[in-house]
Amino acid sequence: MQGLPAIQDIVNLAAKIITSRTFLEIVVFPGFLNVFVGAALLTWLERKVIARVQLRIGPLYAGMWGILQPIADGIKLLFKEMIFPELADAKLLMVCALGLMMIAAAPVVAIPFGDGLVIANMDVGLIYVFAAISLFPTLILLIGWGSNSKYSFIGGLRSLFQQVAYEIPMWLSVLGIVMLTGTLNLTDIVRAQEKLWFVVPQILGFVVFFAAVLAELERIPFDLPEAESELVMGWMTELTGAAFMVGFLAMYTKLYVMSALITALFLGGWSGPSILPQPVWFLLKTFLVATVIVIIRGAFPRVRVDILLRTGWTRLLILAFANVFVTAMLIWLGFGWFWRV
Amino acid sequence: MALDSWSLVAIFEIVVVITTFPLLVFGWVMSAKGRNPIRDAPFESGQTRLGEARLRYMMQYYPYLIMFVALDVVAMFLFTWGLVFASLPVAQDYLFLVFLIVLVVPLGYALYLSGRRESW
Amino acid sequence: MPDIAFLALSGLVIASAVFALEARELIYGAVGLGLSLIGIAGLFILLGAEYLAMFQIAVYVGAVVVLILFTIMLVERERGRIVEEEEPVRLGRAGIYVAGLVALAVAAAVILLAPVSPEAPEFYRAPLQELGRSMASSYSVALVILGLLIGATVVGGLTLVKIEQKEKTSGTAQ
Repeated sequence: MQGLPAIQDIVNLAAKIITSRTFLEIVVFPGFLNVFVGAALLTWLERKVIARVQLRIGPLYAGMWGILQPIADGIKLLFKEMIFPELADAKLLMVCALGLMMIAAAPVVAIPFGDGLVIANMDVGLIYVFAAISLFPTLILLIGWGSNSKYSFIGGLRSLFQQVAYEIPMWLSVLGIVMLTGTLNLTDIVRAQEKLWFVVPQILGFVVFFAAVLAELERIPFDLPEAESELVMGWMTELTGAAFMVGFLAMYTKLYVMSALITALFLGGWSGPSILPQPVWFLLKTFLVATVIVIIRGAFPRVRVDILLRTGWTRLLILAFANVFVTAMLIWLGFGWFWRV
Repeated sequence: MALDSWSLVAIFEIVVVITTFPLLVFGWVMSAKGRNPIRDAPFESGQTRLGEARLRYMMQYYPYLIMFVALDVVAMFLFTWGLVFASLPVAQDYLFLVFLIVLVVPLGYALYLSGRRESW
Repeated sequence: MPDIAFLALSGLVIASAVFALEARELIYGAVGLGLSLIGIAGLFILLGAEYLAMFQIAVYVGAVVVLILFTIMLVERERGRIVEEEEPVRLGRAGIYVAGLVALAVAAAVILLAPVSPEAPEFYRAPLQELGRSMASSYSVALVILGLLIGATVVGGLTLVKIEQKEKTSGTAQ
């Protein structure tokens, strides 16, 4: 009986892989399940918080406080028909929606949720995250064009220009942190904030980064690609059914991951009193950032497109350079040792 | 299995695809399929569709894309500088300053050119 | 035996390049280019240049491919249409692919059967700090010249377009 030992070996190997720490990290926390549940929770959080800001109640009936609403939405969208216009490229749209989800979740591999609790401790973690973020405009442009509909195409173009305009200020606003710590490793950057969070010395960088993240997420006040009274749903107009669910989830995954990034870069990551374990602190701060982003949605009007692009290219760029200059001054005056790991 | 960072990235992406792809397949299989002209038309809030969708919409912002490519490359060099900034002698910082100034002038002119609407 | 990762990435680069060339729509061609460039970034990672690989993705796939896509999408339809080819051209193309495969097989045979040790040479993985230091010291002149080049490219590109637009408007005005 030659076959049986081989099967036993395979089962053993599979069991060893599944219970290995790395696999658990990838799939459960801080990996895929974390991102998936986090994004779903954020859809619920957004609807609840926006409702309260607008003096409504929000989801109420699906489970206590409407917490099961994302599940209800998901099941509904799965069973809806996926209608694509006749001249649209259905395969391209679905592949791009899948690509959006892949790229939205990709940065979480490098973000540390606790000391040592990171899937891959990359030495180039910070720019890995930026490389992942920079792939969004390509996919959104393809979805907008592939839908072959005026609303989608205009929305896709607007999204492209908006994200491209705010990507450079986003990168430059983090340059100050890189100068202070001398590393691109996100774990080291979080460790360097044990004495003082970077939001204090890099307040200018924080403001620029926060604004740029809002623009990358296409949230109000930068939600022109999704201008609800103008473009219906912007570049997502012709995504329907399961494709819409994937695209929608990708948007909220992006929100979750970017909030986690802001927490890691500026708000000290997992640091906090030892009453609570480190990942809990990280998640608390992440959800705080996400709540602030959602509240901003309820409080601001939308920025017009040419003002939006001009602000990104001139004012935010100048502010980011100013931040670099201020940080350079800080280091020249001898304060650089404070944040050495 | 050499589990360095990049294999982990690849494995993570494979996990994402394995979990998300069945959702799309499920949606595709489960959806009703009625192809008739009303359903197939793109969504224009109830109006019938007139004219081509893929026109030249935001051409006046084309310079921003070109500047983005240039500034992307500049950001790459700036990050190499930022990494070693604290340990560089000051004279070498001035070299990077020269690099930046040499760039700022043409880019400022480019921004000025892109602001003039009649060029487009 | 060559590394599986190397084979997979090289396969991705070549396959997406072929796809980019053979696709019916120009847009698919640009997508194929993007995939190919991602494969090249993977090859950079295999060579130990992670910093370069990340910026390869960010700059090439994130900016250049977007520029190409944008240009394709906004070109007039008549100019963007793929011309149908005739029989001799198609046979010629098939001939080129066959010749390429034969060359690949010959090269692989020569490499695998050569009487030298198949050990990969040790290459120098530069720590990130080295990049900055060498930029500031050894390559500083090259850096400034590169800055001038980038500035000239941007301004030149925009001026060219401005001249074309002026010619077009002044041409139609008459």
